[in-house]
Amino acid sequence: MINRFILEKRLKSVVMHLILLSVAATCILPLIWMFSSSLKTQDTIFSNMHIIVSDPHWENYREAWTKGNFGAYFLNSVIYTVSVVGGVVFTASLAAFAFARLNFPGKNIMFYMFLITMMIPIPGSFIALYVLLQKLRLVNTRLGYILPQINAGLALAIYILKTFFEELPKDLEDSARIDGCGKFGVYWHIAMPLAKPAIAVIVVFNAMAVWNEYLLAMLILSSKSLMPLQRGLMVFQGAHITRYPLLMAGITIAVVPIVVLYLIMQRHIITGITAGAVKG
Amino acid sequence: MKVRILSVFVFLFFALTIFGCGNSDTKGKPDLVLWHWMTDREEAFLELAKRYEEETGIKVSFELYAPSDAYSQKVRASAQTGTLPDIYGLLAEKRDYAAFIKAGHITDLSDYMNGFIATNKDDYAKLIKKGFISDLTYDMEQKFKEWRRIFFKKALEVNIFPEGNQWGVKPGIYGVPIDVTNIQMLYNKDLFKEAGLDPEKPPKTWEEFIEAGRTLKAAGIPGLVSGWGEIWMIDCFASNYAMNIMGKDKVVATIKGKVPYTDPDWLKVFHLFKEMADEGILAPGIVAMVNKSAEQTFANNRAAFSFNGSWCVNVYRGMNPDLNYAAIPPPLVNKKNPMYIWGGAGASFLINEKSKAKEEAISFLKWLTYEPQQAFLSSKTNNLPANQKCLVDIPPILAQFADDMEITTHPSILPASEYSQVIEFFNKGIQSIIIGEKTPEEVAAKVQEVKERRMEWTKKREARKKQNN
Repeated sequence: MINRFILEKRLKSVVMHLILLSVAATCILPLIWMFSSSLKTQDTIFSNMHIIVSDPHWENYREAWTKGNFGAYFLNSVIYTVSVVGGVVFTASLAAFAFARLNFPGKNIMFYMFLITMMIPIPGSFIALYVLLQKLRLVNTRLGYILPQINAGLALAIYILKTFFEELPKDLEDSARIDGCGKFGVYWHIAMPLAKPAIAVIVVFNAMAVWNEYLLAMLILSSKSLMPLQRGLMVFQGAHITRYPLLMAGITIAVVPIVVLYLIMQRHIITGITAGAVKG
Repeated sequence: MKVRILSVFVFLFFALTIFGCGNSDTKGKPDLVLWHWMTDREEAFLELAKRYEEETGIKVSFELYAPSDAYSQKVRASAQTGTLPDIYGLLAEKRDYAAFIKAGHITDLSDYMNGFIATNKDDYAKLIKKGFISDLTYDMEQKFKEWRRIFFKKALEVNIFPEGNQWGVKPGIYGVPIDVTNIQMLYNKDLFKEAGLDPEKPPKTWEEFIEAGRTLKAAGIPGLVSGWGEIWMIDCFASNYAMNIMGKDKVVATIKGKVPYTDPDWLKVFHLFKEMADEGILAPGIVAMVNKSAEQTFANNRAAFSFNGSWCVNVYRGMNPDLNYAAIPPPLVNKKNPMYIWGGAGASFLINEKSKAKEEAISFLKWLTYEPQQAFLSSKTNNLPANQKCLVDIPPILAQFADDMEITTHPSILPASEYSQVIEFFNKGIQSIIIGEKTPEEVAAKVQEVKERRMEWTKKREARKKQNN
């Protein structure tokens, strides 16, 4: 009987692991294929389908970096990512704290209005956004590129953080007040440290979105000197011909920072997402 | 400590945000700004801009926005805010092209194209005096020849709005083609040899094509591959054969609603696809295949025929430099009618009517379309030049495409245009014939039904309009 129980348990575990392994493979294989392709030449990429490259062309990375002007674009992407993520965390945490812990007229209506903005993807409002930025003289400026992205990231961030802040025990807030904290003190000394998992999720989600953003940059920016990293990748894609080895080398370079960020934040992410999802 | 971290963070945020609030280009403002989407021509364009600046002192900034969807969004958004550049390309159907002209975003170039007539000669002289075009390398005499004559006739057609055009646009030439393209049948000479066919005698008639397909099939070689998952390519193939079977006039009459799609000639067109499918000539999965996959299949010697555009020369060179192939017009079904193939201008540049540097922009485009620049562009990008005088030094395979420029046509230059819904049913119907889901007769009946419904709807709408007026 016990043997049967153990056998069933092990069988379930094997099946579960097989499923998980196949899911993991579907995620990892494209990355391996990307890396492998980055070491091939333009003609071997179409004729040699092996993942392991016998004659790797490491110079593709150097060429991708220089031809794609990655040096300048990389710095721009860092500026945009830091600014947008910083802007989203700062603004959303203040707004979420207000929605969760303060009482003011129209609170719920305002919150739902924020949520509605989640339903409108940025490309859907491109032309209106362009007209607005043009009137504000923000077209082809860094600020004109950063502000719409902060705006786009706010709704989800407020939603996640609000659920966190709502769970804070009232006693904790009262104790802080007795110790002399004002409203901002409670937010900064009590709420923010406890919301680290949620902030990690917001940081990763927004950093990924900004790092990979391209369409908005094409719309708003004209000067090459202001373009983000993704602009560098476009150099390798023509209307009819794509230089795949260089493109793959470029993408490999581009994904490294975001993968590193994800790995650093990984342990907070599950807590953050589940908390937001279950309690929301 | 935390306050300090917050201060650093806030400082960093605002510093990064405000840093470079404006355009940080320090090289100075260009005299002309040109927007395009052609990533693969970027390097050649930048080199030409450098040469133009050296020759004339005019700085032209080529700004690349790709992919084409993002580019189109940018052009439309800029048109709404009146911030289009001096020169740009428009990726749009002709009715959108017409809308841009009517909104005053595109300059009529007819006078410039037809030669420098008196009204514009003064401006041209001014430009010469200003030194904008004084030290061009080509012969001075050439400048005063008619600009229009240098182009393939078909290259200009897409940019021409003729007298009485359906969009109500003032007749004229509104764009400058920088290259041309056409779509033809290609065959793999090595695979022909392998199947026992003569590689120097490609099929000229439909019967010969089917026979060659049978021989190739017997040798285990897939016949025709094409990107028929992108339905416009099916439309292209069907349109070629419709014009060959029934003649251009009858095709136009069908579009105008005077001939039904159930006409025996249209049934013949649909049956061609059934015949190819029944004979097993089509490459497996052709109806779901995007052109990129089709190109890969042909380049790797996995299909004997390909239906593809002249851009493929560059693509195949990249995928398999040793590919041994040639281009031929699609084999004729009806020897009494000519075979028309889709083609015309590849990319065209337009001049912003509201540009303050309109004359300079025109001079630049003239320069760009003359021989040295066109030859350079063609050699660097393997595209067919729009200037027909530059065909001397192009590769033989490109020359084969160039030879057939005179038999090109395109739906956008026909005197009538078909409803997009009809086109969709037409092309999807052909896909279902290929996979054996529907018969040619069923597809013809369905397409005609959609056509009649659309015509009825248009009639009612026009009647309502009249009533309201």
